[in-house]
Parts: sequence; C-alpha cells; structure tokens
Amino acid sequence: MKNELRNFIQYNRTSFDDKEVPPQAWAKIQQQLFGKSVFWQPIRYWQVAATLFFGLSAFLLLQDKLSPKQQLAGKEFAQTEAFYAQQIAEKTNMIYSTNDSDLNGLTQDFQQLEAMYMVLKEEMKQRPSEQVKDALILNMLVRINLLNKQLQKLDETRQVKKSDVIS
Amino acid sequence: MNQATSHLPEELIERCKQGDEKAFQDLYKLYARAMFNVSYRITGREEEAQDVLQESFISAYRNISNYRGDSTFGSWLKRIVVNRSINALRARRMELMPEDSDFDVKEEEPQEIYREELTVDKVKKAIMALPDGYRSVLSLYLLEGYDHEEIASILNITESTSKSQLNRAKAKLRERLTTIV
Repeated sequence: MKNELRNFIQYNRTSFDDKEVPPQAWAKIQQQLFGKSVFWQPIRYWQVAATLFFGLSAFLLLQDKLSPKQQLAGKEFAQTEAFYAQQIAEKTNMIYSTNDSDLNGLTQDFQQLEAMYMVLKEEMKQRPSEQVKDALILNMLVRINLLNKQLQKLDETRQVKKSDVIS
Repeated sequence: MNQATSHLPEELIERCKQGDEKAFQDLYKLYARAMFNVSYRITGREEEAQDVLQESFISAYRNISNYRGDSTFGSWLKRIVVNRSINALRARRMELMPEDSDFDVKEEEPQEIYREELTVDKVKKAIMALPDGYRSVLSLYLLEGYDHEEIASILNITESTSKSQLNRAKAKLRERLTTIV
C-alpha cells in the first residue's frame, strides 16, 4: 500500500493532462513571431460582412412599406455605387495584370464579399433604405481596402526584386 | 490544435531553426497541451497558464538556436514553462515556501489506506486544492518527474527544504484522500 498514490499517478500520468489549450492561444504566438493579425486571421472579411447582412435582414423584417425616404436612399446609392465601382474595377485590373502574385486568399475573400454584395443589392431594389445603402458602401470599402493591401504587397515585392538586381 | 503530425520533433526543430513557421506550428501542436497542463498545475489559473504557454513558446522559438539536443526538446521546453510558471506565481507575491517550511516531516511515508478507490478526478481535485507552494513542489516531483536537486534549483531553495515541502504537501493531500494507519 505504501506509495499507492505515487504509483497511481505514474500509472495514470497521461490522464492528468486533460485541460484543453484555449483555441486562441496560437494566434498571439503567431502575431508576436510572424506578425500575423490576431483579429483578421480567425474572422475573415466575409464573416464580418455576413454578420452585418444578417443583422440588417432582421431589421428589415420589421419594415414592410416603401417610404419616400427609402426611395431617395435608392437614388443616392446609384451615384455612390458608380464612384466606388470605378475604383474597384481599376484596382482589380492593376492586380490581375501582374502574373507573379499569390491571389488565392484575396480571391476567396473577394468572391465572398461580392456574393454578399449581390444579395444586399437585391435587397436595395426591393426595400431601399439608409441601412442597406450603408451596408453596400461598407462592402465596397472593405473590398477597396483588400485591393489596396494587395497592391501594397505587390509593390513591396517589386521593390525587393529591384534592389536584388541592383546589388 | 491536437491533430497528430507525421513529422519527428528533430526534423521540425531543424526547420524551425531555418525560420519555418509551419514547422513551429507543428511543434506547438505536439507540445501545447502537455505544457498548458504543466503550467496550469503550477499556477492554478487557466488564464495565467495560457499567458505562460504563449510566452514560453515565443521564448522557445527565439532561442531555438541555443537548443543543442542535450536533453529532449520536450524537457527543454518544459523547463522554460516551469520557470515562467513559477515566476508568474512570484509576481502574484505568493509565498512559495510557508514560514513553517523548516519543520521537517519524516521522510518515511506512513501506510496509506484510501477511504474510497482513487480516481484521476479525485486526485486532481485534491492536488488543485493544495496551497500554491505545496502544489508546485508536489506537481514538480510527482507529475513532472523532477528530483529534489532540480526542484531546489527551480525554486531557489535547498534540497532539504524541497524534501520537507514535498512531505508536507503529501501529508495535506493524504488528509483529503486517505485515512492513515
């Protein structure tokens, strides 16, 4: 019987490591060591957009008539959309004209945002409102931000290659 | 985070030395759970154990070039985790060694008869209910496999204090789990 406790612990040693590591623990390590964002890593752009969309849908379920204010929101949006759509088209062309970039992550996020945009736009046609307009504009701004980051990345890569050639 | 990996630690360590992020993530998957539990048993707090885990892996990666393979990677990493866990306790101004630590308890252990059959859950709860100082020494000795010389070095105490602390910790644990004859 002597040392029964010690023997018991040694025999069942692995069962004492039963605490699960919190899933977010790796993200901080990754951020500190490899400079990756804690926030945007687990929560992708499309998830943010989806959350906004579902919140908006819930709000819109409570409204069923088109008011003059809603109609005005629809008209105003058409002008804003043209402005941002032009920027998106230009930046997209600039990125796709380069052949050496890794666009996988960008393409996925972008497609999710575009899909969300189409649904929101349909909503805007059916029930125009300030809220849907804001969500559509935010969607385009997020896409422009994504494109800007990709362009910056490409520019940095180009600079590195240039300095390699010079040296 | 607990998926098995087909890579050997030695291979992963070599790749980490070259700055391979994926290899380091695989090492993390291999050791994170064990290290988290080591820290949790010493600190007694999950949030603190998570902080220690993160700091330890960051420190391990930054110093991996110093790892020469004299001990296993797990032992090397565990020592980092243990030291940081003890520091976390000290930062809480915890009195690691109670004032009566000089009181020497007989090293000869009494015969143990348990009230009921031991289970992992009961033993674990009894350990976690111990005061911080006792829990640290007992965990280091019974669960992490350190001897008194190593514990003395980790806690900056003498070997004899380590021994008497362990005996007192065991006596406390026994109170909860056994009747002594």
